[in-house]
Amino acid sequence: MSKRSRVLVIGGGSTGCGIARDLAMRGVDVTLVEKGNLTHGTTGRMHGLLHSGGRYAVSDQASAEECIQENRVLRRIASHCVEMTGGLFVQRPEDADEYFEQKLDGCRECGIPAEVLSAAEAREIEPYLAEDIERAIRVPDGAIDPFRLCVANAADAVEHGARVETHSEVTDVLVEDGEVVGVEVEHAAGSGKYVHGHPGETEKLYADYVVNATGAWAGQIGEMAGVEVAVRPSKGVMTIMNVRQVDTVINRCRPKGDADIVVPHETTCILGTTDEEVEDPEDYPEEGWEVDLMIDTLSELVPILDEARTIRSFWGVRPLYEPPEVGSEDPTDITRDFFLLDHDERDGLPGMASIVGGKLTTYRMMAEQISDHVCEKLGVDAECHTAEEPLPGSEDFSVLREWMDEFGLRSPIGKRSAQRLGSRTDEVLGEWDGPNPTVCECEAVTRAEINDAIDDAGSELNAVRLRTRASMGNCQGAFCCHRMANELSPEYDESVARKALDDLYQERWKGERHALWGEQLSQAMLKHLLHATTMNRDGDPAKTDDRVDFTAFDAGPDGGAAAGDGQQSEDAVADGGITDETNAGEGAADADS
Amino acid sequence: MSDAESPATTEPTDPTREHETDFDPVSVFDGDETMDLRPGADNCYKCSVCDTACPVAEVDDDFPGPKFQGPEQWRLKRKDGGEIDDSIMSCSNCMRCDDACPSGVPLSQMHNTARGEYVDEQMDKLSREYVRNRILANYGTLARLGSKVPRLTNLVMGNSLVQKINEKVLGIPSERDFPAFASQTFREWWHERGGANVENEDKRIAYFHGCYSNYNTPEVAKALVRVFESFGYEVVVPRQRCSGTPMFANGMLDDAERAAGVNVGEFSDLLEAGYDVVASCTSCSMSLRQEYPELFELSGIEEVAANTYEALEYLRIHEDVRGALDDASVDDQALAYHAPCHARNQGLDRQAVELFRDLDGVLIEDVGDSCSGISGTYGWKEEKYETSMKIGEEMFEHMRDATGEVGMTECPTCSMQMEHGTGYDIKHPLQLLEEALC
Ligand SMILES: Cc1cc2nc3c(=O)[nH]c(=O)nc-3n(C[C@H](O)[C@H](O)[C@H](O)COP(=O)(O)OP(=O)(O)OC[C@H]3O[C@@H](n4cnc5c(N)ncnc54)[C@H](O)[C@@H]3O)c2cc1C
Ligand code: SF4
Ligand code: SF4
Repeated sequence: MSKRSRVLVIGGGSTGCGIARDLAMRGVDVTLVEKGNLTHGTTGRMHGLLHSGGRYAVSDQASAEECIQENRVLRRIASHCVEMTGGLFVQRPEDADEYFEQKLDGCRECGIPAEVLSAAEAREIEPYLAEDIERAIRVPDGAIDPFRLCVANAADAVEHGARVETHSEVTDVLVEDGEVVGVEVEHAAGSGKYVHGHPGETEKLYADYVVNATGAWAGQIGEMAGVEVAVRPSKGVMTIMNVRQVDTVINRCRPKGDADIVVPHETTCILGTTDEEVEDPEDYPEEGWEVDLMIDTLSELVPILDEARTIRSFWGVRPLYEPPEVGSEDPTDITRDFFLLDHDERDGLPGMASIVGGKLTTYRMMAEQISDHVCEKLGVDAECHTAEEPLPGSEDFSVLREWMDEFGLRSPIGKRSAQRLGSRTDEVLGEWDGPNPTVCECEAVTRAEINDAIDDAGSELNAVRLRTRASMGNCQGAFCCHRMANELSPEYDESVARKALDDLYQERWKGERHALWGEQLSQAMLKHLLHATTMNRDGDPAKTDDRVDFTAFDAGPDGGAAAGDGQQSEDAVADGGITDETNAGEGAADADS
Repeated sequence: MSDAESPATTEPTDPTREHETDFDPVSVFDGDETMDLRPGADNCYKCSVCDTACPVAEVDDDFPGPKFQGPEQWRLKRKDGGEIDDSIMSCSNCMRCDDACPSGVPLSQMHNTARGEYVDEQMDKLSREYVRNRILANYGTLARLGSKVPRLTNLVMGNSLVQKINEKVLGIPSERDFPAFASQTFREWWHERGGANVENEDKRIAYFHGCYSNYNTPEVAKALVRVFESFGYEVVVPRQRCSGTPMFANGMLDDAERAAGVNVGEFSDLLEAGYDVVASCTSCSMSLRQEYPELFELSGIEEVAANTYEALEYLRIHEDVRGALDDASVDDQALAYHAPCHARNQGLDRQAVELFRDLDGVLIEDVGDSCSGISGTYGWKEEKYETSMKIGEEMFEHMRDATGEVGMTECPTCSMQMEHGTGYDIKHPLQLLEEALC
């Protein structure tokens, strides 16, 4: 079996999805393949900062300028993925004045709006900042939801005729006569709009041009094609707090260092991060000291973090790249810029290019450049419109308030839904028929929204989670995993729902186990007991094949005297009852103190 | 202003201050720093125990319950405001959720703060509901006016036509009888009596009588004075305003803060002179102890909170009340005792039963741990009346099943509800103590 398209993009992260959308909008026939779900890679494990460029204003001004430019673009085209929180670079007494000045000048040189705030002004904006801070610089940093961003890009690409295939891993790059002509993929189990193959099946996909957008995995694809792509994966930890202690991005104003940023993300705050080179982007140690470092260091800026509850931690790997001749020792010295490697020019292998490095904030710009390059190779003459056309969900939408009333949702629930759904709110909530209870209470996700995500993502609850945030709040799915699984019925059968539930539960546990102290430990224990004992999920006869001894149960309410009469006494007094006048004066039946 | 009649014996209140704007002091607390209670949500592990304790959720399926109202709603909040769900107005502020939570989530503080924000920012200030709530919340002011001409007021308020008008115009249910005003307020009596009968440098209390026992049930306040004096206490009755309980429940936090300013000012001066603060109403003591420091920043507020007690509680700590009752006896009587929710929150829900069950002549039964349903001003709202009565049903039933035909409780509004639901007379524990000891 084989298929053909003009361009084949490998990798369903922000870069790959951005390229697919760009090319599709230019009328190019494009297929995107991704081995897991969309955002399976780094895009799903990043910090969520929409850079203003401030972080690079001293060390890497070219990147800084790209950031502020794309920051403005994304606010326009991806408004439902972006929350413009603003950001502060905060100087502590031990941080150098000189660097503060450099930062300020750098911002101004790069066209990043920057304003100096006194300590008092900064603390008025963020009351939980440390009392002894010196001052701060305010910049237009924001928060961005990478999941929604990718899903919106993929949806729009499909809208423009692209084909998106998830759960399809590239296992080989097909080279014929010294030219890349396509790839071989192996399909894995999955469901939803973007799954077309059958599990275990392999397939050859031919294309006039192949784009390797696999980020930290780019070296592996390169290897399959016989070229070297020297990506240097570098891991970073991020720790998620239960609530938003700050509503503004808080950066430490000092030269590069670990644990220097807090990003408010949806209902939480995310602390980050570290930068440490690893061998394998999929197998690296996740260590407790990394989490401790986040909390210890960042509580110098925001002291309340020290006491606050963390709900989980996760790690991501940066797809850092530098031309081999640079040879930086320390990964933090590697540029955050991106590189387009034309394997024809570089290695004499036509038909393929790799794109490596970069940031999520500049994904659209990277996609534009590589799409220009592909179009040039293919002789397509079409312009890029991705900077002007809003993504689905980010078209103009007016007053949310009225909608909330209309949908009969409680204010904060309606508001959160509308923030996630953007201009699709009306479609998703308004067209829902029947009762619409809240399925995930922590994140305020209703049945209508879950079902919309199931329509899109299929039975995989982790994909539903990424679209809706259901199970991402403080109980980490204790009260909603099973409710989400329940929504799969009747479309999917019981075994599918069970497997989806187990997968989601395990995925949640993966990050939760890095936060097992204090309140989150109680939470995890309650979750375990609810699932293991109340729901008997650890010994469920339906799963264990054990026969149930039904005779061991009592006969039920109609089964005879043993079941009790269930009648309430007519003259019950809650005190234990003095029903007899002769007892009067003796006081109540229960013992004193 | 009747408060201006406080006698000079209520040392150390400066008599010249009596002539100040007691009625509506200038608002000096307008700094309006809205509190960020999101970190409070950290303590919640979502067990739902609070929901099972909430009397409103039990009878009203549309009420989302304290878990949503408190930690969940707060966690979803943004600093730049954001909508508070209007269901916050259905919470009666009984604070049972506070007591139920095993994990120290500041539920009632969250409800009170959110309610304040809702009323400030989302409620139409010209609406009938707002006007009615403002009137109910400021019962003390209303009472001050009404008690000037108690007989006339009682006559007018008891008139069924007026009650109908109240229902139509203000949304106050005509089923409820307005509490009658006493012909002489407690403060008037105190003044006439010439203040305290006992002087004692070592044992002295400052009495927080609140509105109700001043205007409506002065017999309770008088019982407190007599009982404490019988134990040798010197009592002072300083200038004071409403404790704020009805204001919290109606989201009128500015009104409450003004009143708290007066109260904290007066009572913290007295603390320095060796007085402890004693209240005869469990909601008043709750307010001074818990809500004041949770909601306001006023100098001296922590000290006042730490040194406030409910009357029976105070005596049981410092005196051998049980010993005193050993030799005492009263006329035979059977009592159906209801513990107010706010007493429960302070751990006082068993004190009356524990104290009186061995008293000669008394049969006292606890009618259980349900909520009376009135929760201050809650049951005074037309749209809440039904809910209020549904909540109260369990208590009414248990009262009817109990031997006694006289009710007993520490809370004035619970006593209104008990009377309303059963037609029984209701006593305050201090009145029984007075019978036994004085
Ligand atoms: C800790 C950390 C924090 C970060 N914070 C920020 C930030 O705050 N702001 C910002 O702008 N940027 C940030 N970044 C950078 C940003 O996350 C990445 O640059 C961006 O997400 C990279 O996207 P990508 O699409 O290139 O790579 P990826 O998202 O990794 O996408 C590559 C995809 O290819 C797929 N793939 C791999 N092999 C195969 C195969 N054989 N067949 C099919 N598919 C395959 C993978 O599954 C993956 O989904 C951060 C990065 C890290 C590590
Ligand atoms: S009782 Fe406390 S911990 Fe449990 S759900 Fe309610 S607020 Fe949360
Ligand atoms: S204060 Fe009472 S009515 Fe309000 S939420 Fe708590 S338990 Fe329910």
